[in-house]
Amino acid sequence: MRGAELTSVEEVLDRVRKELAEGRLPVEIFNSPAVFAAEQERLFRRAWLFLAHDSEIPEPGDYVLRNLAGNSVIVVRDEQGTVRCLLNMCRHRGNQVCKAAMGNASHFRCSYHGWTYANDGRLIGVPHIRTVYDGRLRRSDWNLLEVRTDSYQGLVFGCLDPGAPDLEEYLGGFQFYLDIYLRPGPGGTEVYAPPNQWVTETDWKICAENFAGDGYHTPVAHQFGFQLGYYASSASTHSQGYAVHFPHRGHGIGLGRTPGMTPFFGYPDEVVQGMAEALSPAQLELFKETRTAVSTVFPNLSLLIQPFSATPGEPGVRFCTMRLWQPIGVGRMQMLSWCLVPKDAPEAYKAEAYRAYTLAFGHGGMFEQDDFDNWSRVTAMAGNPAAQELSFPYLMGLDREPIADFPGPGVAVTPYMTETNFRNMWQTWLEYLERP
Amino acid sequence: MTSNGASEALDQERLPVELARRVEQFLFREAQLLDERRFEEWLALFCEDASYEAPLRITRERQVDSELSPTGRIFWDSKQTLGVRVQRLCSDFAWAEQPPSRTRHFVTNVRTWRADGVIQARCNLLVYRNRGEDPRADLYSADRMDELVEEGDDFRIRRRILVVDQANLTGNSLSVLL
Ligand code: FES
Ligand SMILES: [Fe+2]
Repeated sequence: MRGAELTSVEEVLDRVRKELAEGRLPVEIFNSPAVFAAEQERLFRRAWLFLAHDSEIPEPGDYVLRNLAGNSVIVVRDEQGTVRCLLNMCRHRGNQVCKAAMGNASHFRCSYHGWTYANDGRLIGVPHIRTVYDGRLRRSDWNLLEVRTDSYQGLVFGCLDPGAPDLEEYLGGFQFYLDIYLRPGPGGTEVYAPPNQWVTETDWKICAENFAGDGYHTPVAHQFGFQLGYYASSASTHSQGYAVHFPHRGHGIGLGRTPGMTPFFGYPDEVVQGMAEALSPAQLELFKETRTAVSTVFPNLSLLIQPFSATPGEPGVRFCTMRLWQPIGVGRMQMLSWCLVPKDAPEAYKAEAYRAYTLAFGHGGMFEQDDFDNWSRVTAMAGNPAAQELSFPYLMGLDREPIADFPGPGVAVTPYMTETNFRNMWQTWLEYLERP
Repeated sequence: MTSNGASEALDQERLPVELARRVEQFLFREAQLLDERRFEEWLALFCEDASYEAPLRITRERQVDSELSPTGRIFWDSKQTLGVRVQRLCSDFAWAEQPPSRTRHFVTNVRTWRADGVIQARCNLLVYRNRGEDPRADLYSADRMDELVEEGDDFRIRRRILVVDQANLTGNSLSVLL
C-alpha cells in the first residue's frame, strides 16, 4: 500500500488515462492532496467558474462576496450596470475591502489606511496622497484586481485564465439544455433567496459527477421518496430517458422521463405558456416529456429540476435548484445551494417551489441529507490507505452507440441510467490536469 | 424577530409565574422527545395549522437592520411537511440518520409573555449533535421563538421561528430537527 501523500499527481494521471479507456477510475482521486493541488492549479485557474446569478445583484452598487478558486472576490454591479468581479484585497497592504456577504455600496473603503475604491474597482481615494507619496503613486496603477467575467441567461461566470476561450465556446452548445432551467419564460429566472451555505467533508467531484446524471442512485439513496409516494416516478420505470454529454467540454445532463406523464406536469399554466414563448420547438419537444433534468456545467456547477409532492401520489410541484460545489481543502468543500424560479411566474408558485426545494434540496432537505451522508462516507473511504490501489467500475453504457437522430446537440445515449456522461467528465478533467 | 437584540421579550406583559413554569416545562419535555427520537409524539405537539420556519442569516454590514433574509429559509415547514420528515425518519430509508444522530437540545433563557392573548416563548437553543464514532460534534446555536396555544393543562405549538446563529453551517447533512 502506498501513502496518499507520497503519490505524485503524474502517477495518478497515468493511472486515470490508462484505466478510463477501459471503463475504470482510480479511487484515490476522490481524496488526495496531490490531486487537490493539481486541480487548483490546472483546472480551477483555467475553467469558467460560476460566480453569481444576475438577480442577486439587480441594482447598481449591489454586490455579493464569493469565492473564485480560493480567491475572495466581490461580484458587483457598477454604476453603469456592468457586472464586475474584483479581488477583495486592498492594493496597499492587502486588507479585505468588503466584509459583508452581500449589500449595496457605491465604493469600498479600506479600514486599515483608508484607500477607497469605486464600485468598478478604480482607486479613487488615497489619504494624504500629496504629502506622503510626493507624486510617485499613480492611482490608476493600483485599482482592485479585476477578473474576467461573462454570462449566459443570468448566470455570471469568472475565469482566471486570460487565454481561455469565451464562455459561449466553453459551454459549446450545452446552452440548449441549460435553457430548460434558465428560460422557463421570456423573463428568464431569478433566485428566490440567497443561497443556503454549509461546509462538508466531501470531495466536490463526487457531487459534480452525481449531478451529471446519476439516475442509478435515486431509487436507492432516495428510497423514502419512492416508497412513501413523495416522488413522481416509480423505481421500475426510473431508468428511462437520456444522458447527453459534450466531448472535451465535460458538461453532461440526464433527462429522466416517466412513460405517460402529463407534459410539463408540476408547473402552473403561466410557466408552461412562458416556455412555449421562450424555447425552440426542438427544446419543447424534448423537455415536455422530461420529469427530471439533472446536470453539471463542468467543473462544479450543477442544476436540477425535479417534482416533489408533500402529498403522496400527487404530481407535486417542480422546483429548480442550482448548486456550486467549491473545493476548499482535501476532501472538503463549501456548498452553496440556490433555488431558481421563473421570473414571470405567479408569486404563489414561486413560494411553493421554494418550499419544495427546502424540503428536498436545501441544507435540511431530505434528498440532500441522503446524498451528503453517502458522499461524505465515499470521501472518507477514498482516503483509506487500502483504497489507494483500487479502482471503481465505469462500465455502464460503454458499448452503447449514440442516438443518431436525437433532437438536441451533444452526444446522447439511452437509457438515463448510464455512466457515459461521467466518463466524459473524467476525460475532460484529465485533459485539464494533463496540461502543465 | 430581529437579530440585533431588539427584544420583544423584555417589555411585554409577563406571564404569571405558575403559567411561565408550565410553559418552560412544556419546552423541556418537547426537547426530550426530540432527543429520544420520539418523533411522532413530538409532531403531535404542533397545532394542525402550525408553521415551522428557520430564516437564513446573512452576514451584513452593521448599518443594516436585519441580518435575516426576507425570503430565504433553511426550514419552511407546515405540520404536514413536518409529518413527511417524521414519516421518513420513522421509515427504514432515512439513510442520513442511520445510525441516528445523538442530539441534546439545551433550552435556556426562556422568556414568556402574552401578545394579543397568545402565549409567546422565546429561548436560547443549543443543539449538540454527534454521529457514530466521530469524536467531533456539530453545534447549532439558535434564537427560537414559539407561539403557543393553551389546550387544557397543556400547550400546542402554533408557530415556531428559529434563527441559527451562523450564516455558513457545519454538518454533512442537516438531518436533525431544531
Ligand atoms: S491596507 Fe488598505 S489602505 Fe492600507
Ligand atoms: Fe441524490
